[in-house]
Amino acid sequence: MQAWYHCENVYPFVPQEVLDRAPSVRASLPNKYCDPKIAANLFEECLDEHLLCDELGINVVSIEHHSGINSLYGASPMILGILARQTKNIRILSLGTLITVRPDPVRVAEEYATADVISRGRLEIGFVKSGDSEMVSGNANPVGYVERFWEAIDLIQKTLTSHDGPFSWEGKYYTHRHVNIWPPPYQRPHPPLWAATGDPETSAELGRRGIINALVLRGPEASKRAFDAYRAARREAGLSAPGTDRFAYAALCYVGDTDEEGMRVGSKTLWFLNTSLKQSPQMSKFLPGRMPPEVAAQNYRTRPRPGAQAARRPADSLIGITPEQAIARGILCAGNPDTVYKQIMDIYDKVGGFGHFIFIGRSGFLDHEEARKGIRLMAKEVLPRLPAATSTGATELLSANAAK
Amino acid sequence: MASGERLKACGIELEVLRRGTGRPILLLHGFQTVDPEARFLELLARHGEIIAPSSPGFGHSPRPKDFDTVYDLVHLYLELLDTLPGGKVTLVGFSFGGWLAAEVAVACSHRLDKLVLVDPLGIKISDRETPDILDIFNRSPDEVGRKSWHDPDRLAPDFNAMSDEALVTYARNREALCLYAWHPYMYNPQLPRWLGRINVPTLLLWGESDGVVTPDYGDAYSRLIPGSRFELIEAAAHHPEIEQPEALVERISRFLQE
Repeated sequence: MQAWYHCENVYPFVPQEVLDRAPSVRASLPNKYCDPKIAANLFEECLDEHLLCDELGINVVSIEHHSGINSLYGASPMILGILARQTKNIRILSLGTLITVRPDPVRVAEEYATADVISRGRLEIGFVKSGDSEMVSGNANPVGYVERFWEAIDLIQKTLTSHDGPFSWEGKYYTHRHVNIWPPPYQRPHPPLWAATGDPETSAELGRRGIINALVLRGPEASKRAFDAYRAARREAGLSAPGTDRFAYAALCYVGDTDEEGMRVGSKTLWFLNTSLKQSPQMSKFLPGRMPPEVAAQNYRTRPRPGAQAARRPADSLIGITPEQAIARGILCAGNPDTVYKQIMDIYDKVGGFGHFIFIGRSGFLDHEEARKGIRLMAKEVLPRLPAATSTGATELLSANAAK
Repeated sequence: MASGERLKACGIELEVLRRGTGRPILLLHGFQTVDPEARFLELLARHGEIIAPSSPGFGHSPRPKDFDTVYDLVHLYLELLDTLPGGKVTLVGFSFGGWLAAEVAVACSHRLDKLVLVDPLGIKISDRETPDILDIFNRSPDEVGRKSWHDPDRLAPDFNAMSDEALVTYARNREALCLYAWHPYMYNPQLPRWLGRINVPTLLLWGESDGVVTPDYGDAYSRLIPGSRFELIEAAAHHPEIEQPEALVERISRFLQE
């Protein structure tokens, strides 16, 4: 199995009374609450953690979130460029540049190809549909974003695989009449593709395309639903059964010397759920286009009708969660190496296996030294015991891509 | 809308409300579709035949694939004007529908006898750092409520009292509106240049307390339409047809009789 270190580079130093007063800690919280000197230290620490991963054989994830305490990685391609140059051995996953809020996928492909070349072929490209507040801060229409997501992926893939001079793209959402990036990607036909989604319909399409499906903080039940949809879609399309290399599971995770230490330090990562998910209603449940009107309608009631199912976004159920609940729900793995190994394998068995474990090893007030220790223990005591990934036929993946 | 009456335009079976008889009054709805029980419908129907379609994606009107721009809506209503039987049509537009009505009037004044715009959107007046139109998607629901209603406690929608079906329609209307009008937000940068082409008598009515688009915006709008008249409706904000139906219809009827 591949382990991937994921750190959102959060900014937890805004006074609590400011956060309590603010209707949203994303998109609208004034940036006067972010001290660039503290931010500089945080960047240095987080990038150093990625370099430690490089020494220890743990891959790294570069993410992108905009305008909030939940992440300082607003410009993911820049982080990718640094990682591509400063790491030497490991693979680097971008999960990812927010393609549904970026106006030009060709530019995204260009940045990815450049990072792939600088890293000499160690880049993996992940696609995410973006969170609600990012539609607002990214000035992107939330209605139609799924269709836009797929067109952006198609254009990026075509851009990365075209090598015979300019081609023209006049799609529904994107037009670019002269596409011919330099340099092309180092890996051929292109770096491995990932997408983060828990929506079974999207997972099915990932299955048909052979794109790696990552589930982030969704727990085993939702992950299994998505992976099952992925497998079923491949079966129905006459494609081979996917190996576990097509599946990734992401959880908050901290390995300590003892259970007590693992829990005490690992619990700090719950800040991500309990503090950094707060969003104004207009940037979450009332934002059009994020769920069908039939579902969204119930969001307007302040007193749900008896027996009516309130529409909940996956994130809603994570706010206010305790460490014990988080562990029981497969959102958090924490303890000594044996405990964490068992927790991961329990999830592994529940979902039918995965080849990639993404561990969110630093968040909230969990500090640099603690993060380094957790990474070391993960690399030395847990990762070697995790089962190897099974593979999916490479030629078949390519033909699936070509056929779509 | 249980009656399920339909009106076909551009091959789309639009949901439509019809009331009254006489001169045709084509009514284009605002952010939300017209409530069949609305008092102003009953009052306005004394002055003509109201034809109030729901735009594609709103209410129970289907939205064909790739029908997703204001350009599509404007051409839909231009075609509808061509196909409505009878003589000239009085065009009335509320809010977002006022924008559409202004666009239609620019392109097709010869099919209209009069134009009534009630708190219309659709143009940009101020400098690049001053938004003219309240962002109903990005601002807090409380602020949007305060600025949309003269008296938010009286007639603003009570979501807890609404039926499931009405709530779904409400959510569907917001989704359609967001699709059409997200960017540029609720206006066509080119429209002010062309408003001068409107050559039918035009009345702009404005809720005095409107905070979605203020009376100053309305006054500027009016000055771009030659010969148009601008009047305020007291004790109303962005929805005078709901907050002051009598006063609104009284102004409209007087204008229609001129």
